[in-house]
Amino acid sequence: MRRMVTEGRRSQMLRGVLDLCLLAVMDEGPAYGYEMTQRLRDRGLAIVADGSIYPSLGRLERDGLVETYRAASNGGPPRKYYRPSTAGQLALALGVSEWRAARDAIDAVLGPVTVEVAHE
Amino acid sequence: MSDFVDHCRQEWKRLGVPDPLADEMAADLASDLGEAEGEGVSPEQFLGSSAFDPRSFAASWATERGVVPVPGSPGRARHRPLALVAFTGLAAVALTVAALLLLTGEPRLTLVTSRSGPPHAPALSAIPSLPPGPGHRVQASAATPVEWILLFLAIAALCFAGWLWSSWRRSVPPTAPA
Repeated sequence: MRRMVTEGRRSQMLRGVLDLCLLAVMDEGPAYGYEMTQRLRDRGLAIVADGSIYPSLGRLERDGLVETYRAASNGGPPRKYYRPSTAGQLALALGVSEWRAARDAIDAVLGPVTVEVAHE
Repeated sequence: MSDFVDHCRQEWKRLGVPDPLADEMAADLASDLGEAEGEGVSPEQFLGSSAFDPRSFAASWATERGVVPVPGSPGRARHRPLALVAFTGLAAVALTVAALLLLTGEPRLTLVTSRSGPPHAPALSAIPSLPPGPGHRVQASAATPVEWILLFLAIAALCFAGWLWSSWRRSVPPTAPA
């Protein structure tokens, strides 16, 4: 039960910044859908649940924040690669700035809390 | 896995997502699911709860990408002129036929109504070829040229078609300059 609540909260928090995370990982180099989930997972963001990466990529594409092209992957079928457009890079810079401001404010509230739950 | 993609395709078809876009999205999804499976990641691990609800997943993806036609969009409006063209064409043909029939001489098509019994004075006075006979039963024949009715209906239909065309033009957003 506690695990479900924790994962639900993490998933909700991630959903609010998933667009930024996707822009950030594709800014490291063009990537296709599954490749982006691998990069997120490598950084500890394994909970990209509900298949939300696809709607997010669709939204980024619709808003002109990414550029796409098709290219062959490693021995596999041609894949659709994404990379941030100029507008996407600007959105990423602004979003990171906003995130840091929000993170600092939340840290100011939650940081002093000393209550901890013993992990099983 | 293929069942999941098939369900997504059905949903995209139902939503009216253009086939090339649906093909592209289905191919991307199938490739990603295949790669995940190759790495031992199940669809449930990869897609979370969406793996059990392909229709919602497909609808969400298409909507966010902006490829679902909305009612009243230019895509739907393009279908309307086909019916309008057909209607306008029929009205024009009817008008032409009526005009030709009227111009080529005596009306050959008539609607005939018969009435028996005592004649009414106003009706009989309009038909001089049927003289009333006092105390006699007469049969009156009122002939109405079908050509005139057809002409009137064709003109009315053309006016209605013109109104529909102007209404349709107002509903279609202007084309963005290239």
